[in-house]
Amino acid sequence: MKSRMMIVALIVTLVPFSVVFSEDTRIEGEVSVVGGYVGVTGGEGGEAKFTEYKDLEEPWRLFGNIDLGLDSEKYFLNFEANDIAYDTQRYILDGGIWGKFKFDLFYDEIPHNITFDARTYYEGAGSHNLTGTPNVNFNTWNTFDYSIERKRYGTGFGLPLIKPFFFDVSYQREEKDGIKAAGLAASTPGGFIVEAPEPIDHTTNNLKVEGGYGKNPFFLSFGFLYSDFNNSNDKLTFTAPTAPFLTDVLTLPPDNNSYKGFFKGAVKLPFNSKFNVNLGYGVARSDTTLVDSYVSGAARTAFTLSQPDFEGKVKTQNYAFVLTSNPLRFLDGKIFYKYYDRENDGDVVTQTTGTTVFTNPLFEYKRNAAGIDLGFRLPAQLLLNTGYKLIMTDRREENVEVESLPDNKDDIYSVELRWNGLDFMTPKAGYEKLIRSADFEGATPENRRHAYAGQRRDVIRIGVDTFPSENFSVGLGYYHKWIDYKEDIGLNKDERDGFDISADYTFRSLAKLHGYFDYEWIEFSPDQFRLSAPVGAWEAKQKDRTWGYGLGAEFYVIPEKLTLYILHDYLKSNGNVDFTLDPALFAAATGLAAGNNENVDIMRWDDYTKYSFMFKAAFSVTKSLIVSAGYVYERFKYNDIQLDGYQFVNPPGGPVTGSNGAFLTGYQKDQSYRANLIFTSVTYKF
Amino acid sequence: MRKGPLIFLSVVFIFFLVLIAQNSVKGDVGYVGTETCKGCHEDYYNRFVKSVHGKKAVPGNPANRDGCESCHGPGAQHAEKGGGKGVAIFTFGRKDDPREKLAKCLTCHEETKTLAFWNMNRHRAAGNSCDSCHSIHKGTSKDLLAAKEPDLCFTCHRDIRFQFNKQSRHPVNEKFATHQKLTCSSCHDTMGSFVAESVDSFTSRLGTGRGKMLRADSAKELCYKCHAEKRGPFLWEHPPVEENCLICHDSHGSNHSKLLVRKVPLLCQSCHIEGHPGSPYTDLHSFQGPATSGKNRFFARSCLNCHTNVHGSNGPGSRGKAFVR
Repeated sequence: MKSRMMIVALIVTLVPFSVVFSEDTRIEGEVSVVGGYVGVTGGEGGEAKFTEYKDLEEPWRLFGNIDLGLDSEKYFLNFEANDIAYDTQRYILDGGIWGKFKFDLFYDEIPHNITFDARTYYEGAGSHNLTGTPNVNFNTWNTFDYSIERKRYGTGFGLPLIKPFFFDVSYQREEKDGIKAAGLAASTPGGFIVEAPEPIDHTTNNLKVEGGYGKNPFFLSFGFLYSDFNNSNDKLTFTAPTAPFLTDVLTLPPDNNSYKGFFKGAVKLPFNSKFNVNLGYGVARSDTTLVDSYVSGAARTAFTLSQPDFEGKVKTQNYAFVLTSNPLRFLDGKIFYKYYDRENDGDVVTQTTGTTVFTNPLFEYKRNAAGIDLGFRLPAQLLLNTGYKLIMTDRREENVEVESLPDNKDDIYSVELRWNGLDFMTPKAGYEKLIRSADFEGATPENRRHAYAGQRRDVIRIGVDTFPSENFSVGLGYYHKWIDYKEDIGLNKDERDGFDISADYTFRSLAKLHGYFDYEWIEFSPDQFRLSAPVGAWEAKQKDRTWGYGLGAEFYVIPEKLTLYILHDYLKSNGNVDFTLDPALFAAATGLAAGNNENVDIMRWDDYTKYSFMFKAAFSVTKSLIVSAGYVYERFKYNDIQLDGYQFVNPPGGPVTGSNGAFLTGYQKDQSYRANLIFTSVTYKF
Repeated sequence: MRKGPLIFLSVVFIFFLVLIAQNSVKGDVGYVGTETCKGCHEDYYNRFVKSVHGKKAVPGNPANRDGCESCHGPGAQHAEKGGGKGVAIFTFGRKDDPREKLAKCLTCHEETKTLAFWNMNRHRAAGNSCDSCHSIHKGTSKDLLAAKEPDLCFTCHRDIRFQFNKQSRHPVNEKFATHQKLTCSSCHDTMGSFVAESVDSFTSRLGTGRGKMLRADSAKELCYKCHAEKRGPFLWEHPPVEENCLICHDSHGSNHSKLLVRKVPLLCQSCHIEGHPGSPYTDLHSFQGPATSGKNRFFARSCLNCHTNVHGSNGPGSRGKAFVR
């Protein structure tokens, strides 16, 4: 809180410098105070879900907002403050001398709440050291919040004075603090698991400097990016769940930094053409001390390391050359070549235990892309865009016996048609086709990674924006996407459809009505195969149907004096998984002994319903003073097979063993909630 | 010597000469001055004076040139005919050719960093012009946007609005908030963008065509700006993670936690079918399910209950390799 107040004070002290402004200085802005009550009914997860990106934990609250602008013929200065002293507060100060220089300062906080009052048998939640032995009496466990707070502050400076040259510099620092969930497998595979709090104490500094020259026919820009990430805890030590006398270690993100130099340029050419270049070279580095053992069961497995530390180093290079041309009034053309290379120069470390040696592979890839886009302006204001793109991806893994990652060749064809010839509507349609080939090496089916698998992807989009009158507009859209994977095993189909509509209508000066409806249907169909005994094929069709609508109205009861607002939003998602298993799989080894193809399907798969109502009245006491009051009701109902009937200890009461066993913390438990908000605000404009 | 090429070159030369001559004949014929415009359009004039375009301190500004007529063209005929919308004046109306509207703005703005690469921009290819998003006279924000983000973007990108309404999302469209924590333009450079790595192989979730106007050379470089802890480089890397975050995450919003494109374990099983990931995890593996083994690979965070470091690990031996430590 102290640092927050210091930042507020710093920014506010800068405001009085406005006195240097001349007499023609114009001051505009508004100050508002919002007070209210929030009542949330829900479990630990529900309260957090409602306040996911908000700070509404206290039932009574009072927010302050300031928006201030000072402007003269020579100078400008703007100051904006929102949610003063809350976890969502934001302050922005920007100003400068017109045409000479400009600057900005900002401070911003973003909370991300996930679950309040989570539990762990460990002591030290939030620190890098967790101690304690498992016990099944979760009512006695320690509580903590899964919540992350981001604080960002930064500044920027620009020099329009030197036009046609330019120079900009910006700096941003982000501090991230909180707790996320980590998994601590007691032994793998097959052992019980422990969910635990992982500390987040990250600081990232980002600096960007860019300068150049912009005057036709040239644009030249040179820049440098530097990013530095520091993690106060690059390891989480914890009492081994299976051996209370041993300490185990979970590695966390290491400190790292990266820099990148770039050049972007363009030169205008005859025939309304322009040649554009983007060149970049970057290096990312990390540095960490390696862990030389882990605990398995009641014993420690130790490794002999070829070196105690690991230095990661990844170099990236990118080149892009694009020629655009509009040689004829009806023709727009673009031809391009792009190259991106990730080269891994990280250390190769061997870790030896007994006769087993582990060596980290170095993953690298190159991506070459070339293509051409042609846009035709046809009669009757028809706009036709066509495109072809060839993308070649070359993946390499060093230090592996068989490279399982394939190279890809993607052919992408696209066509879009838009008709601007009508006053009252703009219809448009688009189609894209991707054909990917993959040259997997090795015959084993487990190498068939769907992300790289051969596929045919078709996307169709159609839409229309209509404006029947000045005060009425309707937009409609539909898309269909189909991916057909060529591999026999793994995801073999991804199909989805979506539809949306929006409408706005203003009824004279009496009311404004608006609404929307969205619908989406998704189906994934993987054909899987269990390779280890009992061997057998299985299929899991995942279906998601989501739809929502919103209705809103503004009634100008007394024009420019009293306005009523009504808003209602509704969203529902219904997912399920339809399994079809080879009868051979219903064997004890997979835990499916009690199953058959009638009772294995999942009917609650991230199912949720969210709806809200808002009523608000705003009354302009004078032109400068506005008073408003309102009420919001929001409901979120969430059901999911993986969280319903949540148990902190599984099986309840123990004994916690094997691949059914778990000590959990309550992460995302009970996310449903009901919330009531009553608020009133006073806004003064000047 | 063959005469054909010579004649052709001569014709081309004369053609360009005529073009250059035409462009150089611009005079002040037909200009009436801003004060005349103010006579009928005082509201517009007042807003113009307040806006950045009205600042004489900015070199090259309309205020330093022909005022209103810098953008709208000479107004003498318009005035002589008694005014009227679009009568002998360029009004930036919806029916006007987008290229003509663009040309007016690019006269000054093309040489800026913001619009230097507008010629490659997807918005331009789709037939948009500056006034599709900006309202020069009515825009209230610093950037003279016609509406606030994200509502402005959702006017056309309605399907993206739907994604941001979903239960797992980036905070771009939060209801009942005084301000949005992120905006579309936090990630997208809507007027320029020069992405170096083609991202179309793994995106086009819904879209078709040309690029996503990212504010970085690649999708992962964009994500690292806020999620630098994912940058590594790690001892044990998960290749899809190093290649493109969008293989697993839907950056706008998803029905599934962590903005995942599919729910775990089926997301992981899309690639991993060897060993225990090859097993079906079903309704029987829920907290109340009767499965006799494998339940802790399904309930709660599923695969992540053990494989907690899926973004990369520096852990020892098999534990690091499997992202367990």
